[in-house]
Amino acid sequence: MNFSRIFHNLNYVVSALLFLMGLYAVTVKPNIIKKLIGLNIMETSVFLLIVSVGMVDNGVAPIVTEGYRNALEAGRVVNPIPQALILTGIVVAVSTTAVALSLCLRVHEKYGTLNAPEILGRDVL
Amino acid sequence: MNLAARQPVLLVAVPLVFAATCPLWGMWKRRICFYWALGGMSVTAFLAWSLIGKVSQKAPLTYNVSGWRPPWGIQIRIDTVGLLLACTITAMSILLLLYSYRYVEKEIPTQRIVYYYTLLLLIFTAMLGCSVTGDLFNFFVFMEIFSITSYALVAISGERRAIRAALKYLLMGATSSLTVLLAISFLYSVTGSLNMVDIGQVLERMGRTSSPYLPVAAAAMIFFIAGFCVKAAVFPVHVWLPEAHSIAPSPVSALLSALVIKMGVLGIIRTLFTVYGRGFSSFSEVWGALATVLSWAAALSIPVAAIMAIMQTDLKVMIAYSSVVHVGYIVLGISVLSVQGFAGGLFNIVAHAMGKGCFFLVAGIIIYKHGFRRIDDLKGLGRSMPVTAGAFAIASLSIVGLPPSAGFIAKWNILYGCLQQSQYIQVVLALFGSMLSAVYCFKVVYYMFFTGSNVGAKMDEGPMTMLIPVTLLAAGTVFFGIFSALLMPTLSNAARVLLAR
Repeated sequence: MNFSRIFHNLNYVVSALLFLMGLYAVTVKPNIIKKLIGLNIMETSVFLLIVSVGMVDNGVAPIVTEGYRNALEAGRVVNPIPQALILTGIVVAVSTTAVALSLCLRVHEKYGTLNAPEILGRDVL
Repeated sequence: MNLAARQPVLLVAVPLVFAATCPLWGMWKRRICFYWALGGMSVTAFLAWSLIGKVSQKAPLTYNVSGWRPPWGIQIRIDTVGLLLACTITAMSILLLLYSYRYVEKEIPTQRIVYYYTLLLLIFTAMLGCSVTGDLFNFFVFMEIFSITSYALVAISGERRAIRAALKYLLMGATSSLTVLLAISFLYSVTGSLNMVDIGQVLERMGRTSSPYLPVAAAAMIFFIAGFCVKAAVFPVHVWLPEAHSIAPSPVSALLSALVIKMGVLGIIRTLFTVYGRGFSSFSEVWGALATVLSWAAALSIPVAAIMAIMQTDLKVMIAYSSVVHVGYIVLGISVLSVQGFAGGLFNIVAHAMGKGCFFLVAGIIIYKHGFRRIDDLKGLGRSMPVTAGAFAIASLSIVGLPPSAGFIAKWNILYGCLQQSQYIQVVLALFGSMLSAVYCFKVVYYMFFTGSNVGAKMDEGPMTMLIPVTLLAAGTVFFGIFSALLMPTLSNAARVLLAR
């Protein structure tokens, strides 16, 4: 087992672990708030993955300044698209969480509990 | 400013502007929102329908947003499939808005009517965006907009079961969206592109040079299909659908069943054929296996969901299960990989939109007039509501798939496609499902027309603004059944291009 290889790809390993943790929370935890936390962990893991993809060691933003030409020649210019994607992704995640939390609030108001199996057990379809 | 050249982007921009300004009108006078929404969607419908005949799958209409060239900027790319969906969405949107005019007073609290029309405009915008965009991440963003909007629309009545259904829908929908985002990031990490056609070309090059990153792209394909299957409610992951679609207000149910789940199907088409189609040779094993799994899941979903539909006592839950049946047909047609089956699947998107739209709107009229939800309560409604019940009977021909309806043409082509590929078990399952569909549809028709009445035989129809959409949808299923030649050749051509390797 090559540990240095894992170390160099630590971001990806952590991202995969976070994704699985989140998925576990969403599917297994009975508490709805915990499910939402899991959902947010999953979101974060995907963001981490995209940011890691765009990572360049000692990278330079693609803005034309003095150091830009050297960085360009050394291949150290960072692609800005992953960051832009993450920004959009964060906005989407925040709005999903906002809608979800307001629904949770209403569910708690109407059912008096946040336990998913208990809520599903009431007025069955 | 040359507006004609900007028509592709206006298709998304116009409803978006109308959606954003709708609450402002609502602050002044609530009633204006309806006319504002109807006006906005009429303009959009004109924009979409005037493109008919100008695009084909081979030569799509493209527009570079802000002038950025394709691999970098967002490209709007209207091909036959996109235009088919855009036309269906805009046509349905007008009918649904017209229907909502009176229906909102029944199930939606007065202070939320403004939000209701705003959300409707927003969901149409997002679906139009999904159908016309050529950019994968843009597709994801629009997908999230219509998903979040539909969670809100399911919960808008404020009833406790509606809120529970919306939360359940959200938990599954958001997880599936993340799966899609994960797939996009996988694909971006190995191709460095977000434009669907460009990714296809990059994958093809990677396949030729047998790049070591191909397994990542293959894994992305699996995540894509898994995510879109939840959105489309394909059999094992359909569990959110019956509750969310049946408890939402009826026009919203019609919208969700007729259009929103089709966006998941669109996602499957876009990824499986536009993105991965060209690089097929390098993925033949994974790609073929996925198509097989999809076709089996779809074929199994048809009888299983039909049996579930038969067991229901609530009319709207029954109709919702019937949507799972039809998504099964559409996905079966697409995944069986024959031109005729694919064209049939695309045709079923339209046929099912009309048939299922009509079903839910009829259920809505019955709820509006009598508050009946149980199938047993519908006895003798055919006498007091002949137009409503008649429309249901005609639409059920299409849902079951009997000639001369649009549903028949769609199913016939899908099954023919399966036979061409010698998928005999799928054909048997689909035919069996059709027979079961006849049971649950004609049970309702039988109750409506051939049993003693419990509401009296006096004419007591719903309001005109509700009857017109229902009648038009029912007439549409027959019209497209008889004049299927208007659509089928175009769809076959599109299918041929998409399936060409």
